[in-house]
Amino acid sequence: MTDKKKRKEKKRYFGCTLSVLVILGIVFLALAVISFIGGNVGALILGKDAIPILAVHQPHPELPAETPFPGLPITNTMITAWIGIVVVIALFVAGTRKMKFIPSGIQNFVEVVYEVAANFIEEVAGKEYGRKFFAVCTTIFLFVLANAWINLIPGVETIKMNGMPLFRNPNTDINVPLMLAMVSFCYVEFWGFKAKGFKYITKFFDFGPLFQGLRQLFKGRLKIGLSGLGMGAIAVFTGILELLSEFIRIISFTFRLFGNMTAGGMLTLVIIFLIPWVVPVIFYGLEAFLGFIQAMIFGALTLCFLAMAVKQAEEEPA
Amino acid sequence: MAGLGIDLPTFVAQLVSFLILMGVLIFVGYRPIRKMLDERANKIKEGMAQAEATREEYVRVRVVVEEEIDKARREAQATVAEASRLGGKLKDEAKREARKEAQVIIDRARKEMEQERERAIDNLRKEFVDTAILVAGKVISETLDAEKHHRLIEKALEESVAFKKN
Repeated sequence: MTDKKKRKEKKRYFGCTLSVLVILGIVFLALAVISFIGGNVGALILGKDAIPILAVHQPHPELPAETPFPGLPITNTMITAWIGIVVVIALFVAGTRKMKFIPSGIQNFVEVVYEVAANFIEEVAGKEYGRKFFAVCTTIFLFVLANAWINLIPGVETIKMNGMPLFRNPNTDINVPLMLAMVSFCYVEFWGFKAKGFKYITKFFDFGPLFQGLRQLFKGRLKIGLSGLGMGAIAVFTGILELLSEFIRIISFTFRLFGNMTAGGMLTLVIIFLIPWVVPVIFYGLEAFLGFIQAMIFGALTLCFLAMAVKQAEEEPA
Repeated sequence: MAGLGIDLPTFVAQLVSFLILMGVLIFVGYRPIRKMLDERANKIKEGMAQAEATREEYVRVRVVVEEEIDKARREAQATVAEASRLGGKLKDEAKREARKEAQVIIDRARKEMEQERERAIDNLRKEFVDTAILVAGKVISETLDAEKHHRLIEKALEESVAFKKN
């Protein structure tokens, strides 16, 4: 083997040789230190003004979505959501436009996404219901994920128009998580009624055992009647709890997504304000992961509640 | 609630956006992909079924071929055995014929030898008689006539033949 070849076969880490990696590490560390000292933290510690390029404005997060175009009821979260929607649709259109029997490129990617989602959904809900639930659960997942990841594009929440961010993570607008929670709730209840019929309501208002207990009491069977009354009371209480949990689910769905996304966004903005260079990259990675997890949780929980609604119907005797 | 930003028009707008996304994805994404995956699965299933059918056909044909080979082998063995049997038979017949012919030849030779011997004995007897007569005539020409002499020798010869036979 020649020396030239030996030199070429040097060990590589993340696609770089060790020397390149060390140089990059030193550069990033230097940038982080400069950013720390020259930024707002350094300015506070040293009592001097921050270096102009590192003087990021203090974030002033607003909970309600803003309308950057005066007179138009279009919020910045709407604009961002539309961009996300266009990106997702474009991806699927590109993947399915000229479908080949042996997939490649974007078709391969969208097919993998579809297959992974379909397998997961069919595993939980079964093959029959899996195909019916697929569209809603997968769209919720893709919508939340697109909203979360679009927030990581530089410019979102920093490009301003009329003093307001032009783009903002739609998941941080309470209307979006609330809308998704309502969609999930309505779809679960729809399937509950569809699978079980009007009897589905007895899940929440189960007075059967109570009336049975009363009937036994009137017949003079005191012991059985009282026992039946007790069981009836428990069934009524459980029904009320079930009903409450159905509505609480809307709140939990809404605030889980809203809270996590808002907190994540604020954390990133605060880190950028404190140390503008290098360090926020870590939080960007964290946000990307968090966005995926939140999308997964929203879609998977909707799927679980759907599966529970139809499985209860399947298990009960006709 | 207003502090959080809950707003009905925004809510409805986001709902419409979501429903549009779902509708478009169903038509341009999910359905074509499902169709393609089903087609692919069917094709794979068909291929598997075809491969299974081919395998079964191969097994069936192999059994038939093996049976044919066995049959041919059995027939060949039977033919060889028959040929061997016939060969043996022919050989035996040939042997028997040869033996018979040899016997005939031997018999014929023996007969000829016998005849030759008898002929030789006759000739010898005649010569002996003549010689004996001649000798005896010379020795005892005075005491016996020729006829008596001849009778005596004949008698002696018959006795000697009888003696030989015994």
